[in-house]
Amino acid sequence: MNDPGRKTILWVIATLALAMLPQLVSMPLAVALIAVAPLAWRIGSERSGWKPLPALVRHGATIAGLAILFVSYGDLAGRRAAVSLLSVMLSLKMIECYRIRDARLVVSFSLFLCATQFLFGQGILMPVYGGVTVILALVTLTQLQRSEAWSHEGPAPAVRASITSEIGFSLRLLALAVPICMALFILFPRLANPLWGIPDTTLDSKTGLSDSMSPGSIQDLFMDDSPAFRVEFAGAIPSTDQLYWRGPVFWRFDGRTWEGSFYFKNIEATSVPDLSGNTWEYSVQLEPNERNWLFALDYPATTPPDTRLTLDYQLIRSQPVIQLTPYSIVSSPDFVDMPELTGPLRLQALDLPEGRNPRTQQLIRQWRRETPGDKAFIQRVLQHFNNEPFRYSLNAPFLGVHSVDDFLFDTRTGFCEHYASSFAVMMRMAGIPARIVTGYQGGWFNALGDYLLVRQSDAHAWTEVWLQGSGWTRVDPTAAVSPQRVESGSLSALGTPRHVLDYAWVRGVRNSVDIVQQRWNDWVIKYGAGQQARLFAPLGLGEMTPPMLVGVLAVAILVFSAVVFPIVMRIKGPSSKDPVQKTWQKFLKRLRLAGYRARPSDGAMELADSASRFLPAVSGPIHEIADLYNRSRYAMEPPPLAQFKQAVRVFRPNKNRA
Amino acid sequence: MTSITSLATEASTAGQRFDDWVLERVRQRRGPTELPLAFEYRHIYVMPTRFGFWFGILLALTVLGGLNFNNNMSLMLGFLLAAIAQLTTLLAYRNLAGLRVEAIRATPVFAGEEACFRVLVRNPEHRTRFAIEAVSPESRDCRDIAAQNTVPLALKQLSFERGWMPMEPFRLENRYPLGLFRAWAVIIPKAQCLVYPRPATNPPPLPKTGRGDHGAAHPGEGEHFHGLREFQQGDPLRRIAWRTSARHQKLYSRVMESPSEEACELNWYLMGSGDAEEKLSILTAWVLRAERRKIPYSLEMPGAALPTDLGDDHRDACLEILALHAS
Repeated sequence: MNDPGRKTILWVIATLALAMLPQLVSMPLAVALIAVAPLAWRIGSERSGWKPLPALVRHGATIAGLAILFVSYGDLAGRRAAVSLLSVMLSLKMIECYRIRDARLVVSFSLFLCATQFLFGQGILMPVYGGVTVILALVTLTQLQRSEAWSHEGPAPAVRASITSEIGFSLRLLALAVPICMALFILFPRLANPLWGIPDTTLDSKTGLSDSMSPGSIQDLFMDDSPAFRVEFAGAIPSTDQLYWRGPVFWRFDGRTWEGSFYFKNIEATSVPDLSGNTWEYSVQLEPNERNWLFALDYPATTPPDTRLTLDYQLIRSQPVIQLTPYSIVSSPDFVDMPELTGPLRLQALDLPEGRNPRTQQLIRQWRRETPGDKAFIQRVLQHFNNEPFRYSLNAPFLGVHSVDDFLFDTRTGFCEHYASSFAVMMRMAGIPARIVTGYQGGWFNALGDYLLVRQSDAHAWTEVWLQGSGWTRVDPTAAVSPQRVESGSLSALGTPRHVLDYAWVRGVRNSVDIVQQRWNDWVIKYGAGQQARLFAPLGLGEMTPPMLVGVLAVAILVFSAVVFPIVMRIKGPSSKDPVQKTWQKFLKRLRLAGYRARPSDGAMELADSASRFLPAVSGPIHEIADLYNRSRYAMEPPPLAQFKQAVRVFRPNKNRA
Repeated sequence: MTSITSLATEASTAGQRFDDWVLERVRQRRGPTELPLAFEYRHIYVMPTRFGFWFGILLALTVLGGLNFNNNMSLMLGFLLAAIAQLTTLLAYRNLAGLRVEAIRATPVFAGEEACFRVLVRNPEHRTRFAIEAVSPESRDCRDIAAQNTVPLALKQLSFERGWMPMEPFRLENRYPLGLFRAWAVIIPKAQCLVYPRPATNPPPLPKTGRGDHGAAHPGEGEHFHGLREFQQGDPLRRIAWRTSARHQKLYSRVMESPSEEACELNWYLMGSGDAEEKLSILTAWVLRAERRKIPYSLEMPGAALPTDLGDDHRDACLEILALHAS
């Protein structure tokens, strides 16, 4: 037989569906459909008794699934694509899963799938997801084991345990495993260096700022409320208008898109701020984004390990950030970036595509004649943004080839990237070197946790102009249009909610609750080889080496086992709901009330004989009940349960005796 | 016939070779199992199942990936599942420990039929034992054993020749609760099953040399009421005369009868010379036929003889003589 049974198959499907859920949300629609369809078919098949699909259809479905995956993802080397492939294959397995072995395979790989989901996020809801998946898997495996034990005799006997008691049993098992799991987690030696790295080509779920900027690119991030990073300051916290978190810097403009140049990304900074003046000291927990930038306030004076500081003060990490990455930095705000601008750099910072934006060109020429001083000219442009009816809005209309012309004279509606881009172009037209800096601006200060939370929606773009004497100087044209953007954040600057749930109080609650995530990150997610080595430092012990850790681990497991094992030995299995046994117990209770004590060693017939001797008046019914019990238990064709119950119900030994 | 045959049924895989090795060890260390036997820790072995083995590899991969990417949540998931797996070894052990194999019984069969050994397993404790399996080379059975209950696990074994057939070694095992580990105990039983000769398929007619008491009714199985007698162990319940019993505060069984016509004599020496086993087969078939037709019969064999009679007891006694005939 080896048939898992209908109820169990539904449990297998539930386990797989839950394990797949986070992946499903991130899949392209077509892939999500092909991942769900086999499960839906199988549920329908179990409910309505549809026949198994012929091999041709099954193989066809597999090939179609692979094709859709390939078309949707381009190639299957990426991590997201690979995990989607695993999900779809497991799902397709369900249309041909008719053996216990296959069902177990699906459940085991569902647990593996669950583990892969943590590569994409270890947020505070993920432990809940993992825990529930494990519970489902345990219940399913328990049922599969039962089906297997009875597989040669047909289906397992009717449900003896309720679902709640099975879940309860799994919960107890889980709870008892926690101490040993914790010991392993804390003491199992970690790798200081990975055995193998992730090739860049497998990273396909990049989030956050990108390595180019075109109209709309930051606007997309604006809808994303996930945390970008969290910052704890060692000393004073800079004022909000100082919180410009520097990320990718762009020099090259093709008329529409701003890009960094390979050349500038790879030249190291020639001078590094010294730490003598005014400094900010802070540590950052960067959420994984699969990009290489670290974010810092202007200007980073220290460089975290595995990171280089470029000529335009970007911090570029050698490996993409694929997990929560902590780093500490000291920034010096008063540093003068590049007092002298040399030939090639100046050329690059003034370069513009030919024959674009003639109207702007004309305007700038005119203004430049009227205002020859650089600083005064900058003020004039900012005033123009401020006085004319420019609007800060998400609903920026499409811009044509002459994008700056369209924006300045026609649409006058845009997001920070529109302002920064136009401003930089105008500066370059006027002969003032300019570049674009993207990053994040502001953040939400969590007073309870004493840290600053920066979300993706805080993404921002501003410009830097080079001025004789002060070097590269930050100018934020968005602030001229919407000072609120800089003072109280992008969301309040906008005025209208982004979606139905977007209210200030909702955002407030979310920001406050973020402290749970921050603590989880601090205590669990960040834990690694370094913390492990210093584990017993507070006790005055030095660095722990892996052999020492293994020794402590062995002792810890022994100690925990000494505590846990006796509890395990008393743990109850799923409780019995066997009605025959219940009725029999009722019968024994009646006998007890009549004064007869049954010997626990007696079987039903022996008990009937000895009870008959004790209560001869009811010897007939006693034998009848014992016979019914034995037949209900062991006979090939047991008597109806109602008959047994009725016989016990009318059995009143104490009355008859009187 | 006394040699220990292996428990392996198919081509021997690593798992089966291991089972055989354990069996051999148990045989050398402790010899045949004395019943009743209560399982203690030294009787019980625990090993991962095939599924448990692959599950372990998957866990190792999860942990390795978690270590490599320093992904603490996948590590924690791997460790949690490993800890759970470790606990299930204990649960599988505990599900078996303390069970008592009380006795093994088998009703006689005819050669070529499947004998059914009933292994009586008692759970003396106050908790249910889940999915306890009995596994022999030829058959398996599975039962839940409720608290303080005795349950027969039936193991079938094909019989080949008449005589006493020893029961083959078997295991009591379970993979509770997740199927990752198997806990088992080996039993090398002394139990044997009586195998009657195979009844000849086309025997000659019954030798009706009637010399018994013609016409007398023979008590035993039948449709007609013969009388009452005090209840004895083994009397079918439906024969109990409840009303009479209630009146006398003592159990009475009804005795039935069927009328008899003639008698026949089944005599080894009158069957001429031929193959001994063939003669035994024919005699067996005659016993069964006479019994079916309610013709009283007597049996005479070298070294044993039974007077004319009829009934299950008589039949069983005759068949036993035939089964154990030394040729």
